[in-house]
Amino acid sequence: MSRIVGIEIRRSAAFGAALLIAVAGAIVLQATSGRWSSGWMALVMVQREYLIVLVPLTMAAGAWQSYREHRANVAELFATVPRPRALQIVPALIATGLAALVAYLVSLAAAVPRIIDTASYLPAAAFAAVAVGVLTLVVAFWLGLGLGRLRPALATAPAVAVIGFAVLAFAPQIFSSGAPAAAFFPGSGMSVFNVYDTVGGRISATQALWLVALAAAAFVLFAVRDHRFAPAALAPLVVGATLTALVMPTGDAFERAKLDPVAQQLVCTKDDGPRVCVSRANESMLREVTPKARHALELLSTTTPIVEAHEDTSTFSPKTAPAPRADTVLMNVQPDKSGHLAFPGRLELQMLTGAFGGPVRCGDSRNYTVGTVAAFFLLGREPATGLDGTEFEDPEAVQLYRDLTALPKGEADARMTAVYRASQQCRDAMAILTGGAR
Amino acid sequence: MRPVSAAETAPTLVPWLVHAQSLRVRAGKHLAVDGLDLALGAGVHGLLGPNGAGKTTLMRALSTGIKPAGGTLTLLGASVDGRADLREVRRGLGYLPQQFGFYPRFTVREFVEYMAWLKEMPKAAIPDAVQRSIDRVGLTAKADAKMKTLSGGMLRRAGIAQAIVNEPLLLLLDEPTVGLDPEQRLDFRDLLRDLGSDSCVLVSTHLVEDVVAACTDVLLLNEGRLLFQGTPDDLIARGGPNDAGDSPAERGYSALLRQHRSNA
Repeated sequence: MSRIVGIEIRRSAAFGAALLIAVAGAIVLQATSGRWSSGWMALVMVQREYLIVLVPLTMAAGAWQSYREHRANVAELFATVPRPRALQIVPALIATGLAALVAYLVSLAAAVPRIIDTASYLPAAAFAAVAVGVLTLVVAFWLGLGLGRLRPALATAPAVAVIGFAVLAFAPQIFSSGAPAAAFFPGSGMSVFNVYDTVGGRISATQALWLVALAAAAFVLFAVRDHRFAPAALAPLVVGATLTALVMPTGDAFERAKLDPVAQQLVCTKDDGPRVCVSRANESMLREVTPKARHALELLSTTTPIVEAHEDTSTFSPKTAPAPRADTVLMNVQPDKSGHLAFPGRLELQMLTGAFGGPVRCGDSRNYTVGTVAAFFLLGREPATGLDGTEFEDPEAVQLYRDLTALPKGEADARMTAVYRASQQCRDAMAILTGGAR
Repeated sequence: MRPVSAAETAPTLVPWLVHAQSLRVRAGKHLAVDGLDLALGAGVHGLLGPNGAGKTTLMRALSTGIKPAGGTLTLLGASVDGRADLREVRRGLGYLPQQFGFYPRFTVREFVEYMAWLKEMPKAAIPDAVQRSIDRVGLTAKADAKMKTLSGGMLRRAGIAQAIVNEPLLLLLDEPTVGLDPEQRLDFRDLLRDLGSDSCVLVSTHLVEDVVAACTDVLLLNEGRLLFQGTPDDLIARGGPNDAGDSPAERGYSALLRQHRSNA
């Protein structure tokens, strides 16, 4: 069998298809490196998302392989041999399966050098996500083989590619919830919104279940000698769809499964300096963040009780936020395209603005102008626009800054302390800043 | 020299390797073989007949590629009908179809090896069997050439190589000499005589001279029925000086057909 599989790999379309898929997969990943530079999980999820391109391509390769088999005109001869058709196709299935596996892993491997120095957190879910991605591509090849056998024509391969792309692009939209879309279309729902995103084990298991059903249907399509029996492929599809619908997580369970709590856990400095903590997902940036965060803590120490800096691990979907701590300021830690801290010059300003502007839980009570004035007061320079300043001109903040700095230092520091207290209690801090109230 | 299995040296226990009674076989909607009675043992049997006589349809039925529409068919002692498990019978078959399909990117050796695997030959016996069959058809020098680079005659020989790789008890060759040059046809006749010494070889052809030169038995098929079965000498004896043909055998062939058509 191994020799026959070797012959299949060398002589069939499997090798060429693997090359094509690997190159296409590597190109789309390299062209969008900013989307996955934050870590391994982001990389494997973005690669899964690009199955929308790779699956139609792979299905077309399978259909083309079947067309070549049809053109070879071996059906009459092969119908007279003792090895049953279901066993005859095994080498072709192994060869194309290996081609899909290698192509997927090669395009992934081509992306690894970009983040190998910066990505550290590698959860088991990443391996599961890659396994489901590989399985998706393998099944796509087999489905292409089956469809190509069902309709052995020159136009089948391009038609399969176009229809496959349309189905993957639009069919997930028919579901009002993200859960069935993710279960039935393993490339769907893989958009990365933050570094704590993941693919839950139950979601991966559900996707694998559905893919096994698709693989069974593809096997039936490819194995039947008489096209009248092709509808038998519907049986595994119906069974698979039913089981998938029963097993897939829905509602809150689905939302929770998209977030990795371990990735959110904090990893902190262990030296004698003020404690600085980042999420496990961003652990590689701790060394980069620490000096800037400690400088901000030093500035805050004169007017606030803050002694620690933690990464803000809040998420919007599902909604999570770190427990409020009076002695802690939150940092917005984001990686850039190379996996290093994005906008490093803004980190201190963002921390100081956040401390005096009020926590997220205050909602509309947060006052960005007050936070800006207080931050620049501690930094000892006038509010400015640009990369390290505010993002827009704020004449009001400039005037307030000048008024604050015109005060005696003791009075100014007292107002700063009062502003901090008020903002933490979601009270209006503007009046305090201008001296109208304490 | 090669090891010979006990199965190969076991005496044949069936009286006929091919036995058909009132056999009917359809080619599409047309009944191409209609009530054929046939019994073949070891030896080389030449199957002659005009176009549309049902030769290829009969070969396809004997190869188990299509199911008989009626009558009985026994191959290698096993009944072949719609419900039979054909796996064991097929292990003893070799078949070269009229339209020989092949994978153009395979080498000759790869294709014959692939066919040996499809014929469920023991893994250990395959390499030697492949080399032997390629040698027997005179393609040794082309064993590692891709199929798509072969001439028509070489392709036909590669087709014969795949048919004989499992040393079949029943070998069916449909138009095996198409594309062969005169020298290759002479070699092929020698190969047929060799193959027919201990198995049943049925060769469908339009070339009467090949049949006379290489076959122990001649079958003439017309309109789906067996018109004649006998030795080449019997065929020759049926012809007269006034019958059409350039050789005694061709005259015997045309005499049989003319006689049948005048009686119809």
